[in-house]
Amino acid sequence: MTIVDNVSADVGGVVNDDEWFRHLGDQDPAGSAAQRTLHDMLVRATRTQVWRLRSQLPGAGPTDLEDLAQQAADDALLAVLRKLDTFEGRSRFSTWVYKFGVLHAGAAVRRQAWRHREVMLSDSLPVVDHDHLPSEVAEGDDLVRAVRRAIESALTPHQRRIMLALLVEQVPIDVLAERLGTTRNSLYKTVHDARQRLRHALIVTGHLEPQSGRRTS
Amino acid sequence: MTGIPRPGEKSDEQSRDLSRDAAERMLVDTSPYLSCDDCFDRLDEYVEQRIADPDYGDELMEVHLAGCEACAEEARTLTVLLS
Repeated sequence: MTIVDNVSADVGGVVNDDEWFRHLGDQDPAGSAAQRTLHDMLVRATRTQVWRLRSQLPGAGPTDLEDLAQQAADDALLAVLRKLDTFEGRSRFSTWVYKFGVLHAGAAVRRQAWRHREVMLSDSLPVVDHDHLPSEVAEGDDLVRAVRRAIESALTPHQRRIMLALLVEQVPIDVLAERLGTTRNSLYKTVHDARQRLRHALIVTGHLEPQSGRRTS
Repeated sequence: MTGIPRPGEKSDEQSRDLSRDAAERMLVDTSPYLSCDDCFDRLDEYVEQRIADPDYGDELMEVHLAGCEACAEEARTLTVLLS
C-alpha cells in the first residue's frame, strides 16, 4: 500500500494547508492542482480506513482493497465539494477532509462485508434452555437475566428489533439503515431511547444505582 | 438475525443469546444525547483537541463515542491519520 504523504505541500504552486483549498472550483491550473490535492488526501484517508478494517473482508486481496479505497475516495470527494461552504475553520482543513474519507471508506467496507448477508429483524430473544447454556451466558448472571426481562417488558417491538439487530447481532448501523431505508441518526436515536428505558427498568429493580446509573451487580 | 453464517460464526439462535457483553452494550448511558450527524460535525475538532491535549474533555462526544461503535471507529482512524 502506498500512503500519500505531505499532500498539502507544493502542489502546483498551492503550498500550504491554509490556502490551497481556496482554489477548489477555480477553472485554472491552481484549481486543478487543488482538486488533485484533495483527492490525494481523501485516498490517504480511505486507504487507511480500508486497511484498518480489512479483517471484515477476508476474501479481499490488495487490489480489491485498493479499488474499494479509490471508490470511497471518489464518493468522498463529491461529498466534500458539496459541503465545502460549511467548513468553518474549527480544525485544519486537512483534518476536516480526512473525516469524509474515513466515513465513506468505513461505510464501503461494511457494505461490502454484508452484501451477501441477509438481515432479518427479530423482536424477541430465543427462549433460553438454562440446562444447556455456556456458563458465561445468562444462567447465574443476574444482570443478564434482568436485561432480558426488561427487553421484553420495557421496550416497544420496534426498539427491540433495532436493539437486537445492532447490539446483539451486531449488524453495522449504516448497513441496517440502508436495508431499512432510514438513517444512521434515526437508528441511533432509537437505540438511545431504548437504552434509557432499559436503564430505568434496571434502576427500578435495583440492578443499576439510581444516581450514577452504575451496575450494582 | 442474519442469513447464512460464515465459517466459525455462531448460528442465528446462538448469536441471539444475550451475552454479558451485549447486555452491557445495551446499558451504556448515552445521555446527554448527540446524534451521529452532530458527532461527525464535531469529530475533526474533537480529535485535534484530544491529540493536542489528552486531558481535553467534551462530554457530548465522549458519551456518544462510548455508545456508537461506527462513530468511535471513525474517531480512532482519524486519530491514527493525524498522529
